[in-house]
Amino acid sequence: MTPGADLGIFAISLAAGLIGALAGVGGGILVIPALTIGFGVDIHLAIGASIVSVIATSSGAAAAYVRDRMTDMRVGMFLELATTTGAVCGALLASVVTPAFLYVLLGLVLLGSAGLHVSRMGEETPPTDPPSRLATRLRLESSYPDRKLGREVPYSARRIPLGFVLMWIAGVVSGLLGIGSGVLKVLAMDGAMRLPMKVSSATSNFMIGVTAAASAGIYLGRGDVDPQIAAPVALGVLAGALTGARLLHHISNRTVRLVFLPVLIAVGLETIARGLGFGI
Amino acid sequence: MTPERFRALVSAVLIVGVAVSAALIGLGFVAALAVGWQGSLLGHANTSQATTDFSDLPSRLAVLEPAAISQLGLATLLATPVARVAASVMGFSLERDRLYAVITLAVLAVLLASIFVLR
Repeated sequence: MTPGADLGIFAISLAAGLIGALAGVGGGILVIPALTIGFGVDIHLAIGASIVSVIATSSGAAAAYVRDRMTDMRVGMFLELATTTGAVCGALLASVVTPAFLYVLLGLVLLGSAGLHVSRMGEETPPTDPPSRLATRLRLESSYPDRKLGREVPYSARRIPLGFVLMWIAGVVSGLLGIGSGVLKVLAMDGAMRLPMKVSSATSNFMIGVTAAASAGIYLGRGDVDPQIAAPVALGVLAGALTGARLLHHISNRTVRLVFLPVLIAVGLETIARGLGFGI
Repeated sequence: MTPERFRALVSAVLIVGVAVSAALIGLGFVAALAVGWQGSLLGHANTSQATTDFSDLPSRLAVLEPAAISQLGLATLLATPVARVAASVMGFSLERDRLYAVITLAVLAVLLASIFVLR
């Protein structure tokens, strides 16, 4: 890579880290096409760099989110049980299932959820019904400090079994297809479990690093992680994620939804394109 | 352990992981600008190894290969989430939250199994 290309990759990665930290996703959607189309990087090295990007976004943003009580660590750990076992199942299935139609199916599901997401667009905080018995038992109820609203916002997880199953599916999908694990996590927490959008995003950020770490060893061993590409990506994403994590406090839940929507649609379209054989 | 200290512990693990990996990746990157990704800061002959090869890191670090320095940083970054889960096991145990200590331990076990078995 020339210094000019290094700078370009750094800048794109900075944007990916910033958006990723706000939306609760890893930024692969931006990093992979930018590297392959923009800089002619081999697809395997681009995917290897995107795994690095996911972990950098997650660790960089979560360091601040955990400290500031934006991440719900119990929700995160409970659901990681579903995503990690799902990811293992997905990786095992990868050798027997032809994923072409699964890509299309996932893409359609994501675009469908974009519709549901739009219908919740104006919602600042979810309705506060008394917590269910399961939520109390699993301690999946808490509150987060919202500096934009200037108050503590209480919440409790709804439809926990559904959320758990959706998270397992998110794990299978990321193990099988290696795409969209962040958007699915945000959708499961915001859409199904009705956690506040910022908590969903911050908790997804916390979780995606673990999902990615589960498969990182495979990519490393395969020779898909090249420091010539991954170094500028990691540095850019870290800088972006640290900036994004500061920014989250100053914007509303509605704005976070607005940032998430185009990411959701882009991942949906890219997933369908992959299934139809337009490799990106 | 209070919830505040638990959060501080997990946050500290992430900050240290991120800071150490960023420093190493950045150092390797700057060194590569000086002597190239295939070079060595001690002026050793090109080992002709691909920069994607993570084996033999110690001996390549000994001759200060820029690629090896960045690779150590990348490996540290990839290990950070695992360290975070391990710290959470400790945190939930110290908080005497047995349910979540067990849940987190199970996550750590699946995580380690997927890293060391599925390859």
